[in-house]
Amino acid sequence: MYKSSNSVGSKGIRTASLLLLLAVVLAPSTAHAYAGPGAGFAVLSSFWAIFVAFLYSFYALATWPVRQLFRFFRRRNAYGKAVFDRAVILGFDGMDPDLAERFMNEGRLPNLAKLRDRGTFNKLRTTFPAISPVAWSTFMTGVNPGKHNIYDFLACDRNHYLPFLSSAEIKGPKRQIKIGKYSIPFGKTEIKAMRKGTPFWHWLGKAGIFSSVIRVPVTFPPEKFQGVLLSGMCVPDLKGSQGTFCLCTTRAQGDKFREGGVRAPIDRKNGVYHAYVPGPDNPLAETAGHEMRVDYEIRPNVAEKTAKLKVGSEEFTLKVGEYSEWTPIEFKAGLGFNAHGICRFYLKEVSPEVEVYVTPVNIDPGHPDLPISHPVTYSIYLAKLYGAYATLGLAEDTWALNEHVLDDDAFLAQAYGNHEDREKMLFDALDKTRQGLCTCVFDTTDRIQHMFWRYLEEDHPAAREVPKSERKEVIQDLYQRMDKLIGRVMEKIDDDTLLMVISDHGFKSFARCMNLNAWLHQNGYLALKEGKTESGDWFEDVDWSKTRAYTMGLNGLYLNLKGREKQGTVDPSEAETLKAEIKEKLTGLKDPDSGAVGITGVFITGNVYRGPYSENAPDILVGYGAGYRASWDSVMGKVTEKIFEDNLKAWSGDHCIDPRLVPGVLFSSHKFTEEKPAIVDVAPTMLKLFGLPLPSHFDGKPWSLAPVAGKTPAPAPAT
Amino acid sequence: MSPLLIVVVLSIVIGLLMIVLFGYTSDQKAIGIAKDQLKAHLLAVRLYRDQLHVVMGSYGKVLRGTGRYLKLAFKPLLYVIIPITLMIVWLDRSLGLTAIQTNTPFLMTAHVDDPQALDNISIDLPPGIEASAPPVHISADNEVVWRLVATQEGTYDVKIAVAGQTVTKSVRVTTQLAQLSPERWRDHLWQRLFSSGESALPQNSAVESIVVDYPERNIPLGVAGYEMNWIWLFFILSMIAGFIFKELLGIKV
Repeated sequence: MYKSSNSVGSKGIRTASLLLLLAVVLAPSTAHAYAGPGAGFAVLSSFWAIFVAFLYSFYALATWPVRQLFRFFRRRNAYGKAVFDRAVILGFDGMDPDLAERFMNEGRLPNLAKLRDRGTFNKLRTTFPAISPVAWSTFMTGVNPGKHNIYDFLACDRNHYLPFLSSAEIKGPKRQIKIGKYSIPFGKTEIKAMRKGTPFWHWLGKAGIFSSVIRVPVTFPPEKFQGVLLSGMCVPDLKGSQGTFCLCTTRAQGDKFREGGVRAPIDRKNGVYHAYVPGPDNPLAETAGHEMRVDYEIRPNVAEKTAKLKVGSEEFTLKVGEYSEWTPIEFKAGLGFNAHGICRFYLKEVSPEVEVYVTPVNIDPGHPDLPISHPVTYSIYLAKLYGAYATLGLAEDTWALNEHVLDDDAFLAQAYGNHEDREKMLFDALDKTRQGLCTCVFDTTDRIQHMFWRYLEEDHPAAREVPKSERKEVIQDLYQRMDKLIGRVMEKIDDDTLLMVISDHGFKSFARCMNLNAWLHQNGYLALKEGKTESGDWFEDVDWSKTRAYTMGLNGLYLNLKGREKQGTVDPSEAETLKAEIKEKLTGLKDPDSGAVGITGVFITGNVYRGPYSENAPDILVGYGAGYRASWDSVMGKVTEKIFEDNLKAWSGDHCIDPRLVPGVLFSSHKFTEEKPAIVDVAPTMLKLFGLPLPSHFDGKPWSLAPVAGKTPAPAPAT
Repeated sequence: MSPLLIVVVLSIVIGLLMIVLFGYTSDQKAIGIAKDQLKAHLLAVRLYRDQLHVVMGSYGKVLRGTGRYLKLAFKPLLYVIIPITLMIVWLDRSLGLTAIQTNTPFLMTAHVDDPQALDNISIDLPPGIEASAPPVHISADNEVVWRLVATQEGTYDVKIAVAGQTVTKSVRVTTQLAQLSPERWRDHLWQRLFSSGESALPQNSAVESIVVDYPERNIPLGVAGYEMNWIWLFFILSMIAGFIFKELLGIKV
């Protein structure tokens, strides 16, 4: 009783205070009511917000009947024949059907089991190769890679035998004006999408169906359509890389990180530690390589195992083993040119040395220097609604765990932090999109399986030194967590909503590495310069005049073709014979140490791909056996002496193998009759379910819903 | 010192002080979140303009968010509202009004409780001030109005006698900037606080108030003959100063 009356009393006081404030501030009878700029801004901002909201709402309401009328005629083609009001597609990157089935059978995934029992559970055939950017591009466009032009994360520059990012090309302004020591870029940064084809939500949009698309890979740069989209995998960090972390340390500088990170020294002056966050190159500098930096201070408290960090105007205290919130970082180039980023700080150690890990500097979603959403305001909207969030395509810092800069717990905290942000975005999109398409891809499933597969196996080389008692059930927890998410989504939807859970590929162990360049070298297809037994990265010391084939990236093998490669040696008329020869030798190749088959399938791409961009594809795709993958060196164009070796990195599971071994999953709330569904079928299926005609260039075939008593199945689509 | 310069300097100094005070006394994190949420709901109206449920829901959230935001501004407002209000009142007596000028007629109005008292009311003018017309009795309003004129600069006490009691009202005659008290009240604490620089009239006096109609001062801006009341100028300039300082100091308002 007391508590209750007190609560009422304090509520009354609060209400009275608020009314008094409103009386004084909102209805000033004289100018005396003005109480300084603070209050002035508060009042003006409030009125402005209400006024603008009123204008927007009034506009939306006033024009709504006209727009609805206009849409009425257009939507008769879409919703008129639509089987569902709404489709929700949850993409769980890398969810494996075998593991899902195992955990379902153990009773650990009740919500997925419900979908299996009432709707569909099937393996989903993936793309060749089974790599996320390839598979998700096929998912959205409904075509094979020969028509969307994505074959790997990296593509090969045949003139220089060097890789470039396959999904987007970012070029600075062409013109520059020199003023004193500055070279001022003039014009806009060009971002060219390399992925071709039309995502199916564009077709939906043309028919007046709204879509919310969140973090689907290879949607950078974002394209215009009727809906909202937040770009996913392949969005760069502020440096333009796919993620460069920084380890700030007082320790003497060690070896360079193989990839994905840099070390920055921490200096001590008067008891205060000074470090910096490395940023992008200064765009105003005359020559490249002038890195911009943001300095910050660290004040460790050894007794309490904490440190106070001061980054610009932000000050915060971290315990050892704790992350900061996303912190805004502004790199100043001069003349008012700034680059806006966000990063998180993780305090690793305060004694005897001081070490701070800094995540890659992400593009600030609230102040994006590059477009990462459509419309541009969508990323800002999400940042304002929920606070800053990771925008980098590969936001979970797998390299930092590989390099032992982060430990398991720190990596998981980072990954699940991003995951929670993604969940908020999904539920907001579900709430906003009550009709149309809502799709969201979660990367957590992929990253955590990559990094923790080692604990699933008895004798994974990367976990041999970790006692079984210390191995966590990370992947099982991951699947259970995703299952709970599905449960919450199911609570938000009704029978008129189709829920699909799909993955782009499954997962297998990555215990053994194979250096395909080494095999090519030892079998006479690739030559090193005189006296060399190994090459450097990116074919340093390779003798191209005697080389007939080479590999870079995860599965692609290229012929050194005359007229295509700069120093090509293979006559085009001999190409098919050479491909057949390599295929024959590689197929069934055994690992001499274990006797297991390292390569289970070799695919000549001319037989796999059809489309206008097929010529950009590698000549051969190598399908590694379960437990095997291209070695870290081979991916980076390095020739080593050994062909097979153990994989000792935390990155211990993979899917860049024979695609037949790693299908994805398909769960749905409604039963599909298709027996062998493929990821290429999703786009045509979506168009069919919304009653739209299918474009003739689609390679996928739409699935049919099993008849349900009292309901009419979707009509056959026109093409 | 010119009134314009005084207002400019005051605006900058007070703009800075108030912003710093606001920064220290407010929950900066909560204000930042509240403002961001408001912006998000505004953006939602634009992003989902075809989804009527989103538009209406977001509008409701904007109204609720505005209330939350004002509530957060309430605490710092409590710290600043009393000192700054008193300061503005005090400044308004110098900067808001012009003192009486010599040889320029002005009105003095006495308000009494009982209309019969108007028959016995009289005024005793000090040397330097003269009546320029007979008094006007407005029985309906219980008022008597004198039209006066000053012949010399100075500070005068004009005496008004009624029902055997005499009360005074100060009158300031000068070309300089001066502290002025346009009204003197018997009761009405609020009026006394905001409009009077003099003590209250005696409680047993038949006179309720005496008002001198000092002309309002408009401050010349020196641009194409524009003039402006000081409070508006102060409002605009202190807001500009506040805006600059809040950006420089990173304070969320």
